[in-house]
Amino acid sequence: MDRARRQAPVATPPFHTWVFPDGTLWTEFHRNDGGYLLRFPQLADFQVAADARTVTGVPVPEVSEGTTQHLYLNQILPLVLSKLGKLVFHASAVEIGAGAVAFVGESGRGKSTLAASFAVSGCRFLTDDGLVVEPSGEGFAALPSHPSIRLWDDSEAALIPPAARRAPPVHYTTKARFLADENLAFCETPRPLRRVYFLGDGGSTRLELHRLSPAETLLEWVKHSFLLDIEELPRLASHFDQVAALAKQPIHYRLDYPRRFEDLAAVRQVILAHAREEHDDRCN
Amino acid sequence: MQLTDTTTIPPQVMTRTVGNEMVILDLASGTYFGLDPVGARIWALMGEGRTLAEICDQMLEEYEVTREALEADALRLAGELEAQGLIRVRSDS
Repeated sequence: MDRARRQAPVATPPFHTWVFPDGTLWTEFHRNDGGYLLRFPQLADFQVAADARTVTGVPVPEVSEGTTQHLYLNQILPLVLSKLGKLVFHASAVEIGAGAVAFVGESGRGKSTLAASFAVSGCRFLTDDGLVVEPSGEGFAALPSHPSIRLWDDSEAALIPPAARRAPPVHYTTKARFLADENLAFCETPRPLRRVYFLGDGGSTRLELHRLSPAETLLEWVKHSFLLDIEELPRLASHFDQVAALAKQPIHYRLDYPRRFEDLAAVRQVILAHAREEHDDRCN
Repeated sequence: MQLTDTTTIPPQVMTRTVGNEMVILDLASGTYFGLDPVGARIWALMGEGRTLAEICDQMLEEYEVTREALEADALRLAGELEAQGLIRVRSDS
C-alpha cells in the first residue's frame, strides 16, 4: 500500500469501465507502462503489474485503510486471479456433504444471503463472491477465499446473531462484512463442485429449479466471469476454453424463488435434498 | 440481405461446441449467441466464404427440408448474426 494521494488525471481514456445500473461510474480500467491502473473514483487507485504478480494500492486521503483493503479483496483480487489464468466468478459457495454448491448471479440476486443462510445453519461457506473454480480430478473444485460475508442490513437482521464479529465499515457501501466464527462457519479447504445454481431475479411466485443445457451454462458462466483485460484476446480465448470445459459438467441449474427471508429455510431444504442426489446425467 | 451475399467471420469471434449446441462469442464486444445443430452447420459453411445460396445448396444435400424454408432460415440467421456483429456481409449484387 502506498501513501494516500489525490487521484491525478489519466492521459488516456479507460479501455473499460464498470458502472452501476443507475449509470454511476464504479471502476475505470486503464493501461499504463505495460500494466494496469484500476481507479475507483474518490476512493483508491490500484496499480497492477503487467504479469499481475504485484499490486500497489493508493488510497485517496480520508479513505480508511479498511476501505482500501475491502476494495482489494472484493474487486482487485478476483481480477488479478483472472489475469493469472484462474477461473473467477461472481458466485458464492457453501459446503454440502463432501462437496460444494455454488450460487451464481449479479449483485442483488441473493448469493451472499444464501451463503450466510447456510453458514449460520451448519453448512460452512467457502466464499460470498469471487469464487475460484479449478479443474480437479475428473471434475472441478471450488476454492475458499476470504473468510467473510458481506450483507445488506435486511439480510443481517434476518440471519446474523447480534454478537457476530464484523469488519470496520467502509466508505462506499452500507453493506456490513461479517467475519467467520463459530456462528458463521467457514470451510478453509477446496471442495469438489457438485452443483451450480444460477439465480433468477426473484420474479417467480414459487421455487423453480431446472437443469440448464451446456450451451446455456457456458453463456451464464461467461456473463458472470471476472476478467481484468477484456481486450486481451489470447487470454479471453483461453478463458472461453476453460469455461466450456466447466459447462460440460452435468451439474448446472437455474434456481429462482420469491425473495422472502421467512422462506429461506425451505429453500435451503430443497437445495440440500437436490445437491445430495446422485449426479443428474439425464439430457434435457 | 440477399442469397447472393457472402459472409465472413471476424477474427475476434470464437465458437465452442458444448453438448449438441454451438456458442459464439465476440471477444471484443462480449456479445454471445447460441446455435442449434442446424444453425451450427450454417455457421460452419459461412466460414468457408460461400454465398448464402451456395450454403443452402449444400444444406439441401444434408437435410430433408424445402428450399424455401431453408433460404428463409438462412437469411434470418444471417441477419441476426450481422446485427450482432458476429459476421460481416459482402454483397456481390
